[in-house]
Amino acid sequence: MSRVFRIELRRSAALGSALILLVAGVLLLFFAEGIGFADGWMQLAMTQRLYLAVLWPLALAAGAWQARRERRSNVAELFASTPRPRAHRTVPTLGAMATAVACGYLLMGMSGGLWIIGTAEYLPVQVFVVTAVGVLALIAAVWLGLAVGRLLPWTATAPALGIAGLGLLLLIPGATRPRGWLALVFSPIYEMKMPDAYTTVPSRASVAQAVWLAALAGTAVLLFASSGWRLRVAALLPVVTGAALAVTLMPHQDRYVTDAIDPVARELVCAPGEPRVCVSRVHSGLLTEVRTQARAGLAILAKLPGAPTQADEDTTTYLPEDYPPWRGDVVLLRVEVGSNGHLDQTTVLADVVSGAFASPPRCEHTVGPAEKLAAAYWLLGREPVAGWANDPADLGTAVQLWQDLRQLPESEARARVAALRQAALTCSAGASLGTR
Amino acid sequence: MRWLTLYLRSRRAPVALTAAAGCAVVMWSLWSAFSDSRTVGTPMVVLTVLLLVAALTATLGGPDDALELTAALPWPPRRVAHLVTAFLVVVALLLATLATGAHFGPAQLVVRDAGGLLGLTAFGAATIGTARAWFLPLGWTLAAVLFPRSEPVLGQILTWQAQPAASSVATGAAGLLGLGGLVAYAVAGPARRPPAEAAQATG
Repeated sequence: MSRVFRIELRRSAALGSALILLVAGVLLLFFAEGIGFADGWMQLAMTQRLYLAVLWPLALAAGAWQARRERRSNVAELFASTPRPRAHRTVPTLGAMATAVACGYLLMGMSGGLWIIGTAEYLPVQVFVVTAVGVLALIAAVWLGLAVGRLLPWTATAPALGIAGLGLLLLIPGATRPRGWLALVFSPIYEMKMPDAYTTVPSRASVAQAVWLAALAGTAVLLFASSGWRLRVAALLPVVTGAALAVTLMPHQDRYVTDAIDPVARELVCAPGEPRVCVSRVHSGLLTEVRTQARAGLAILAKLPGAPTQADEDTTTYLPEDYPPWRGDVVLLRVEVGSNGHLDQTTVLADVVSGAFASPPRCEHTVGPAEKLAAAYWLLGREPVAGWANDPADLGTAVQLWQDLRQLPESEARARVAALRQAALTCSAGASLGTR
Repeated sequence: MRWLTLYLRSRRAPVALTAAAGCAVVMWSLWSAFSDSRTVGTPMVVLTVLLLVAALTATLGGPDDALELTAALPWPPRRVAHLVTAFLVVVALLLATLATGAHFGPAQLVVRDAGGLLGLTAFGAATIGTARAWFLPLGWTLAAVLFPRSEPVLGQILTWQAQPAASSVATGAAGLLGLGGLVAYAVAGPARRPPAEAAQATG
């Protein structure tokens, strides 16, 4: 059996399919929408799932192409005359194609993994679950392609099936609206877009998806291996049961994956030594990079009375809205990961310093962005530059305010900056830096 | 006339034409049934063009291309005529929808994508064989439709299928592919298949 399987691996479309999926996957991963998985392993697994949008139809087409092989080589009748059950001949093909797409998908993941291996440390078990569901989706697709290619053995079946597969993936969200959870059951790519740092896919969603995909794969196997109409009708049973089971398993709740947050990824991990600097666990690989910059920032802030003594990552999430506990002596820093997986260094120091002028959550009288910039760069002693979150329009005002501060005597300017911090902390900012 | 009938029959043109028309009708019905808008979305238009081109791909090779070559006929003009006819079929089928309730347009986009994709397919038929000719057009177009890039210019060239009709860069890329495919196919003809595949006329 294993000898037949090895021959099938070499002589079927398996090798070509694996290569095509790998090349297409790697190109998509790195070039389609920029590198969106630099944060960590979970982001990589979810980004891979998103790109199933292309890989899933391609796997369908690959299966349909493989199913026509005997007909293409004009040996269909010859093989049909062999005194063996059809299942004997189909199992090696099913195995070879499944191995091929699984390898293509996993190798694509590894290429992304090599990119972030130096910086990503937090590896939750969900990563493997999400990847396994992705592999299962591709196996179901390639087997379904084999089944359809066998039932409709024409030249145009494979490309048409690929196009239909993409059409299906694009139509599912619209067809199930307003019940988003239904789309989550049937589409392996739904809600996988733009994963943020603390995002996760709840196990229940993965289990429901896996049940549906396994049922689909089961139906495909029955259709591919069947030689009579009875078995073909019976093939409907797994897909109907699977769909019903998956629909019951999936929580009937919209935005189930988008709103999911991994509390462990969000927990703070601190660097040894004083002053204390902490980042979330998902960014723990960047702790040394953050520590250097954050301690430099805290040292600059020490000029102010009641200066903050600790820097933490700002782990606020907006969907759902959830803030870290507020403390006046802690500076919150938003950790932005560049596309190379390392800390985006350009304005981190300034971000730490301007973090001292932030207000508690849900405060209505916060310090304006221009004033924050001006005060922070006055402390740093250089001209303001816009950070990643700044509106370019604010920069002009910030430079103006910064110049006004520089005109003042040192003690007066420092008093104004200290007052600005006080106003921010007490949530009573109103007057601008220049007109205290 | 007799030659033409035999040629069309050997290339299984009637089946391919029926399939293409059927695909166009299915896509048209899908849009009419599921959307209230009269203008069909760009992804749907591009995918329909791809589908029609895929349906006509099978006619690019006959049951035995090596045997066909032994006929002392001037093949290049006939191959050009074949491709031009296929192009006109795709364009005519989709432009006919402009008179109905679901517009598969704009016309420039349909012409550009039909030309480019048909050229790419013809190039595939001339190099890796008719049976595999749809590989590159399918993979490329699926990715381009989902992730079109308008910046930089290289992105526009690489996702030319899904660019707006006015994009001259995309038109240039499609024209180059169309012309290249036309020349390659006219000069070389469909790639010869291994004898096992060409042994019989069933396909």
